[in-house]
Formats: sequence, structure tokens, C-alpha cells
Amino acid sequence: MSQKLDKSVAQKEVVQAVVIAEHFGNEFMPITDDTPLTLLPLLNVPLLEYTLEFLSLGGIEETFLFCCSNVVMIKQHINSSIEKSAGWSLTMKVHVIVSETCRSFGDCIRDLDAKALIRGDFVLLEPGIVGNIKLLPIIKKHNETCNTDKGAAMTLILQEAGLGQRGRCSFEEVLMVATPNNRVLLHQKLGTSKKAKIELPLEILMDNASVNIYHNLKDTHISICSPNVLSLFSDNFDFQTKDDFVRGLLINEEILGSTIYWHLIKGNQYGAAVTNWRMYQSVSRDILHRWLYPLVPDMGISSQQRSYIHLQNNVYRSKDVHLTQSNSLIEDVIIGGGSSVGDKTRISRSIIGESVKIGDNVIIEDSFVFSNTVIGDNSVIQHSIIGQKCVLETGCIVTKASVIGKGVVLPENSIIENYLIRSHSSKTGVASNKLAKNAYHIKPEESVESDAEDDGLHRKLSRLYMPDEAEPSDDESVKSSESEDNLSYTISPVPDDTNLFLTEVVDSLTRGFEDKLQCDNLILEINSSRYAYNVSVKEVNFNVIKAILMLPFQLYLGQPYLPSLRPLLDYFSPILKNYIRNISAMVDCLQAIEDVAANNNELNECVSAVLNWLYNKDHLSEDVILNWFSGIDKNTRFYARVEPFTNWLQQAEEASSSEED
Amino acid sequence: MFNLEFQAVVLAAGKGSRMHEITAAKPKCLLPVGNKPLVWYPLVKLQEIGFKEVILIVYDNQKSEIQSSLDKLNLNVKIEYVPIKNEDQGTADSLRFIHDKIKTDLLILSCDLISDVNLGGVLNLFRMHDASLCSLFLNPPAGEHLTVPGPKTKYKPERDLIGIDSQTNRLVFLASASDFESTVTLPKALIKKHTQITMYSNLIDSHVYVMKKWVVNYLQTEPSISTIKGELLPHIIRKQLLKPKQKHDFNTSIVNTKDESGVFAFASQTNLDRLIQETSSFNDHHGDLKPSYHGDLVRCFAYIAKPNVFGIRVNTLPAYHSVNFKIIDKWEKLTKDKEFNRIDSSAEVLSNQVDDRCIIWNSCKLSEKTSFKNSILGAHCEVDKFSRVFNSVLMNDVVIKEKVALENCIVCNDTVIESGCQLKNCLIGSQHVVPKDAVHSNELLTQNDRLMELELL
Repeated sequence: MSQKLDKSVAQKEVVQAVVIAEHFGNEFMPITDDTPLTLLPLLNVPLLEYTLEFLSLGGIEETFLFCCSNVVMIKQHINSSIEKSAGWSLTMKVHVIVSETCRSFGDCIRDLDAKALIRGDFVLLEPGIVGNIKLLPIIKKHNETCNTDKGAAMTLILQEAGLGQRGRCSFEEVLMVATPNNRVLLHQKLGTSKKAKIELPLEILMDNASVNIYHNLKDTHISICSPNVLSLFSDNFDFQTKDDFVRGLLINEEILGSTIYWHLIKGNQYGAAVTNWRMYQSVSRDILHRWLYPLVPDMGISSQQRSYIHLQNNVYRSKDVHLTQSNSLIEDVIIGGGSSVGDKTRISRSIIGESVKIGDNVIIEDSFVFSNTVIGDNSVIQHSIIGQKCVLETGCIVTKASVIGKGVVLPENSIIENYLIRSHSSKTGVASNKLAKNAYHIKPEESVESDAEDDGLHRKLSRLYMPDEAEPSDDESVKSSESEDNLSYTISPVPDDTNLFLTEVVDSLTRGFEDKLQCDNLILEINSSRYAYNVSVKEVNFNVIKAILMLPFQLYLGQPYLPSLRPLLDYFSPILKNYIRNISAMVDCLQAIEDVAANNNELNECVSAVLNWLYNKDHLSEDVILNWFSGIDKNTRFYARVEPFTNWLQQAEEASSSEED
Repeated sequence: MFNLEFQAVVLAAGKGSRMHEITAAKPKCLLPVGNKPLVWYPLVKLQEIGFKEVILIVYDNQKSEIQSSLDKLNLNVKIEYVPIKNEDQGTADSLRFIHDKIKTDLLILSCDLISDVNLGGVLNLFRMHDASLCSLFLNPPAGEHLTVPGPKTKYKPERDLIGIDSQTNRLVFLASASDFESTVTLPKALIKKHTQITMYSNLIDSHVYVMKKWVVNYLQTEPSISTIKGELLPHIIRKQLLKPKQKHDFNTSIVNTKDESGVFAFASQTNLDRLIQETSSFNDHHGDLKPSYHGDLVRCFAYIAKPNVFGIRVNTLPAYHSVNFKIIDKWEKLTKDKEFNRIDSSAEVLSNQVDDRCIIWNSCKLSEKTSFKNSILGAHCEVDKFSRVFNSVLMNDVVIKEKVALENCIVCNDTVIESGCQLKNCLIGSQHVVPKDAVHSNELLTQNDRLMELELL
């Protein structure tokens, strides 16, 4: 009873926010070795200041800052900010909550539930939020939603962001299905998955007269929560992250009786979370481009001092920066107080911290240099992050998304490409190579479960964005050549059957070769699976050849390709003879070779030997080969591999025809 | 002479298979609705927006019957009857059949549409975007419940899934809901191209299509397509995701590339149009940096009628039943104030209990001491003394003897209901004789052999 009373009183009085300060990840290694994410400088101001300032401007009066590590540092920072009477400290109370046992976002919320500090609807912020969203109208809207739908637990705040916008985090490509009144029905993180199809449950489409399917949103990681969110987290201890929570609630909507809504922010409102270096980069740029107004450097973020002047081309310069006549700040640059820049140095699209000494003839592009660092003459820094108190001696080159931790000293003329460097050798068992006295190269942890390619992509996406790299998925070129089957929305059984047929053939052949079965029997077997899977003659020819060519990978994985293929070809010669009967079958055979070679470099290397063998055994005729060859893209490596063989063929032909004369 | 902008085609060769009980002996397009046959409504609609000529596709063996009844209606629009012979032809087959008559872009209507929607809206959308294809969708009628005559069956409406780009009204997805079991798969390329799609599951496809002439030409090359809605539309809509092949494409030898020359051999763009599009600052969408229409040559659009628009497709028994009682209220809007002749002058009405919601066709004979409420009586009907007819539809030449009580019934052509019958919620097939003093409710009354035949069909 008294709790209820409290709640109604609280709603009138204080709007509360919860900020989780811990990100439970190692994306920012080695910079976050000794600085918590919340104190990571963003345009020379700790990230936390943006978050708190945003909350106070958004109308929040009481904030709980939930910390799990580096508590002393954060507390100190809060206290010193209050002493300096930072903007937010005037209207908002900040309580630091410490729980060092929490291991995940979910743990933090459960801990918060146990502490019973929250009285009404509250704003929940994941780590690393910046924004200038007006929260009060959204909270009001959430309240109204709660009045009509008692189960409404959370309102997610998402921002419109077109495809290809750099503020869209590639890990968080989201597909959302919602009703016209903004109830979320499906919230799928597509991530970097390469699946060509999206599956939607038919039920959600049929149960609603119309639903909207969104793929033009980015998650701001800000949400408005009803008090029961806390108890939902406590009841479902498998919820580790907010995504778990959203997914769990949507799947078990009936059981948990809770619903999720969403709110779209548009126009001049902005929200984003710094979740990895790429987001850090895009958020920095957006702030420089004044999307976060009024939180821009020249207005003094949360501080009473306005130390920066805003010049054209979005150059922000602190008043006491030492510049010379000949250096140039090109665009999107901010230089903190006490820094000095040498002669003929060019800086563009970069953030330079406070008291940074940059020598002569230095080039800094698309990079972040934190405070108190010294950069020697003739250095080049591109797409990289240099931590605090580093020393780069003369002529260092740091490029390709390198990250250099606090206090690293790089000797003269070091070249660092795509490395993570920290100043001390690892204590935690992460492998590291010593480069210099105060520079150790950290090898990324090899994750065992995920396969190498996926991991590579993961790593690539979590570092800084470099414009010259090809984005992983641009479907434009794919579309024209993509067969139409991929575009149809009803599942067509044919390609699946053909795939099944292929695996069947591979199985038959493997077994046949191992048990030394008669090829005639194998042909019978293949033909019967052909009827079972209803594949056309063309596909049979194509897949049988493909299967034979792929067999070495099955039988002798890791061994040289050609020597293992030879006996197979000899053994299966009767089969080849049976299937490659006419010209069109030869074409199918050549296409199979092309297809396998496109995916397997091993075959690509020795393709002319394979062609030669097939030609010598009369499986392929000269005309067909030459005809097929004329259709291959001349710029491919495949073409280059085949060319010697066809040249030889042509010469042989000329020779033989001249002999006949 | 000017080239016409659009040619109108009305498809009236439907069998009415969803309401075979009443279409067994009568062409679907001649079913009486109000005081007109069904096909009159789309024809009037076309006449109203200025069409002078209409191509009407009918069955060969129904042609004379349809022609003679339409001749009586004094329509100003010139009707060119195109008879088709094969009963099982789909709508797309019909289009293919008349392709040599097609000189310009097409407006296609089905004979069973009764709506007060302004077709100008969908035509303008077509013009505005130089679309390949536009389709008109109607909002479902507000929830109502009428007892449908005949055996109690659950009528399950067929539902479509219709995906429309929220920004541009592009029609990007169309499929019947029954095509899917538990999940609907969308190509990722689709959601990447159209980042906000509204997926409707309750809209009604009005079967009003505006399409470019090339679509009919293209249809010639795709003989497997037999229906417009079920096959042609989804096919064309899917083609929107494809790009025409670049001329210098070296990938020709890669396996599985179908000959894609197909649609783009027809959906071409003049150089001038291309230059206009490239130089124009117009863009139909925002959110990515793609050119307007994403550079597509195939463009399908959807026009959703406003919620207050009345529209119904008379292709099921419930629809037929309910439209007959709505027609009086909607008459003014449907026909733009055409004179409404509720009781034909040639009818002989001796009864003094005919309420103002009854429609009586020519040459009816209503004896004295009969009572009529909310009913439609077709031509040459006769009703004898002491009978009453409530909420019912009587087609032509129905004879009702003395002391008959009909309530909520549909009675087909040439039926005789003997005296003393009491029928409620019944469907009475054509040429049937209901014996004396029969009492039925919620039944289908028809000759058994005819029904057998129907079921075999």
C-alpha cells in the first residue's frame, strides 16, 4: 500500500535514470586497460559527461550510476565535476552504485532490483550513451501507453538511420516489425549474418491488419522502462543483456504478459552509444558536425568554461593552442588546450587531446590522439588511436586501425600497421610480442568456437572505419547476377533438392572409391538418386563432375590437390565417360570446373592440368573448350590459369591442320 | 485521331466458382444486384471516368445472353465482346488472348467489383511515377454480420499479404497468405532496398490493375503464367529487385544464370527519359543515396483506397448477399446520382405492403395481400396472394404461389415455390420446384443431379 503511494508521489516529483557504466567487453583494449569506458575521452571530454549532461538536459532529476570496476576513479571524477559545478550537477542528483560482483548487464539490473531504489518509470541507459533527446515527452508517451496496455514494459528509442549511414553499427543491423501503434512484434539483430533471406512468423502478419517492417533504424541503447522491468530481469536470470530481455519478452509474450513499444526519434534529435571503435569514430564525427547541439565543444560540454573556438570547416581550437603559420588544420579537427603543432604539419578529421606536442612535418588523418602525447617530426598517423602519455619518436608511421595504449614509447622510424600496442607485457595471459622497451604487441585472442573467417570479419568491423576498404555486403552487384531463385519469397524446393543430390553423389563416390566399388554400380546409384531428387540431366552432369572435383577435399583434406585428384579421375573415368556424352554435357562439365575453381583455389592452381587430362582422355573436345574459354571474364585469375592450356590447344590445332595440308 | 491513353478491359469470363450454388445456370456477371446485373457496375464506372470503348471478355457460350441483357441497359460506352472458348483459361490467358487488340496501356477491371472509389486516383499514381503496374486495394468492410442463406458453413475469406514501401507506395510484396505455413521469407535484398515496408494482411485486392502495354507483350513470352493476380503480379513485383544486365557483363559463363534478357527487353526506357531522370533533382525516397526509384525500370505501385470508400468484390455468397442489401444506401455514390428506378414501370404491383427498400424489376406481378420487405425481385417474378418475402433476393422468372413465407433467401432463375412453403435462410437453385407445404431452414434446395455435376466440377 505504502509502495503504491510512493509510486504516485514519485511520478510527480522525480524522473529517474539508470546508467550502467560497465560494458563487460574488451572492444576498447588496450585503451580501457586502466581507464573505464565511461571516462574515455570523447572530443577531450570524458564520455560520462556527455551522458550526464544529456540526462539533465533531457529532464532527468535523479540518476543512478551503476559501476562494477574502477569505482574510485569514477567517484573521483563525479566529485570533481560537482566541485567544478558541471552543468548537470545543478539540476540532477547522481548516485554512484557499486556492485563489483556483477558480470553482465542483467546482473546489474537484478542488483538494482534488490536495492529497491527505483520508484516509477525510469530511463535505462546502456554504457557509452551520448544524445540530445528530449526524454520527458517520450516518458509521457510511455506512461500513456502503460495506461492502455498494462503489460507495457519498455519503450525502446531508435533513431532513423538510412542504410549505409556510418552511425549504423554493423553489429547491430536491426530488423524490427511493429504495429502501427508502435508495439514491437519482432526485434531481430541481423548483425553481420550473410543469410540471404529473412524469416518472419506468419502469425504476426496475420494477427495484425498491418505491420511495419523497419530496416532503417539504429538502436540508441536508450529505453524507457516500467518498474516491472527490474522484476522481469530478476525472474528470468538468463537475461544477460537488453537484447536477451527484448527477445525473451517477445517470444514469451503470453507467459510473461509483457509488451515492448518503441519510439522513433527524427530530425534534430540524436542518440547513439559508443560500443566499439567504429561507433566511437562516428559519434566523434557527429559531434564535430554539431548533431549533438547543444552539446558541442565550443559551448563547453557540462563545463562552465568555453575553451574552444569554432572555426570554419568544423575546426575547433582551444584558445591556448600553439600553432605556427605553416601548419594546416584542414577539416573536422579539434585540438585541446596546451597543445602545440609544428611546422608544415597537416591534420584532418582528427581529434587531438590536451597538451599534445606534435612535431614538424607530421601528417595526422582520421585519427585520435589523446592527451599528453608527444609525436615526433615526420610521423604519419592514419586511422589510428594513440593513447595518453605516449611518445612517438621521429619518423613513426602508425596506420591501418592501430590502437596504441597508454604510455607506449615507440622508437624512431617504427612502422605499426593494424596492431594493438600496450606499454607493458600482459599480465592476464594474452599473448604479446615485445616490440620495444615500452611497446608490446597484443595478439587478438583466438576464439575457439567461431570459425576463422567470421572472427576476422568481427575484428575488422570493430576497429576504425577506413574508407578504402570494401564494405562486406554491397548487394548491388550481386543482384544482377543473382539467380532469381534467391529473390523469390516462397521457398522453392528445386535448389535444395539439387544440393541434396550433390551431397548424395559425393557420398556415393566417396564410398565407391573407398570400397573400390564398380563404377557401373555407382552410375546406377547416381541415376537412382537423380530420380529421387528430380534433377535435370544438365544438373546431373554438372553435379557429378563437381562432386568428383570436390572429392579430394573430402578424402585427403590438407594434402596437395592435384596428386590426390589424379587417382580419383583415373578411377572414375568410366563414370565421366558415361555422363560426358555430348557437347552440352561437356559444357556442363566445364562449368562445373569453373564453379569449383571459383571457390577452391587448389583447383584454380592446377586447372590446366585437369583440363589437359580430360582432353587427353577424350572427355572434352577442343572446340568446346575453346568456345567456353572465350566466354570467361578476362580479368579473373581463372582466365590466366586456363590461358596457357588453350594457347597450347590452338597451337596444336594449327600444327595438326598444317600437317593435314 | 489521338491515341487513347488507356484501354479498358473488363474480365467477365469468371465462373463464379466461389458461389457455384447460384451461378450454375446464370453467368456470374449477370447476377442481379439491385436493379442491374453485376457487370453493369464496372461498366458504368468506366463510362463515368470517360471511357468510350470497353473490351469485355466473356465466355463464348454466354456471349449472346450477356450481350442481349447489356443491350437493354442503354450504356453509352461501346462494348467490344471478346469471346473465349476454353473454360479453364485464367485471367492472364485472357489478356494474352487479346494482346493484338492492345494498343496502349491498360486498365483492367473485374466484372464483380462494386465500388464508389474514384479510379482517377490509381490512374494518377500510374501516371505520376510512369509505373509499370498499379494495383488498387480496398479496405475491408467494417465488421457486420448477416446470416448467409444456405447450409451453415464457415466462410473463410482468402487473405493476401501485401507489402508496400511506406515512403513511396511501391508495391514490393504480394502473396497469398495460404502460400505460407508458419514463416514468411523475404529476400534480404528487399529489406535493404525498401527499408520500411508496411505489410498488410487485410486489404482486399480490387482486381483493378493499370498496366503498361509492355506487360502484355512480356506475357507472350511467359506462357506458364495463367492468372493475373496469382502469378503475373507476383512475378512482375519480384522483377523489381533485378537490375538490367550491364552490356559488358563477363559473367555469362557462370552457371545458373538464367537468360535475364526477359523482362528488360520489354521494360525499357528511352534515352530521353533516362536523361531526364538523371538530371532531375526529384527523388521518390530518402534514406540512402540511390537515384530515384533505385534506378528501377520495373516499378509497381499500390493505391490504397481511403477508409470511407465503399468497395466490395461480389465473388462469394456472403458478398453477394450483403451487397444486395447495401445497394440502396450506396446507390447515389456508386452511380453519381443516376436515376434510381426502384420499381419498374412495367411491374404490376397490387400489394400495398412493399417497403421502400424493395427493388422490383420489369414485368413482375405482385398480387394483393402480399408483403415485401427489403427484397429484390427479378424480372417476370410472380407472387401470389397471402405470401410474404422478407430480406430475400429473387432472380428472374421466379413464381411464388399462395401463402408462402420467404425469409432471408436467395432464389435462382425459373424456380417455382409451391403454396404453403416456409423457407428461411435457404438457397434455392434454378429451375427447382419446391413442393407444397415444405418447411426448410438453412438449406440448399436444388436438383440433386445438378448439384452432383457441380461437385464434380
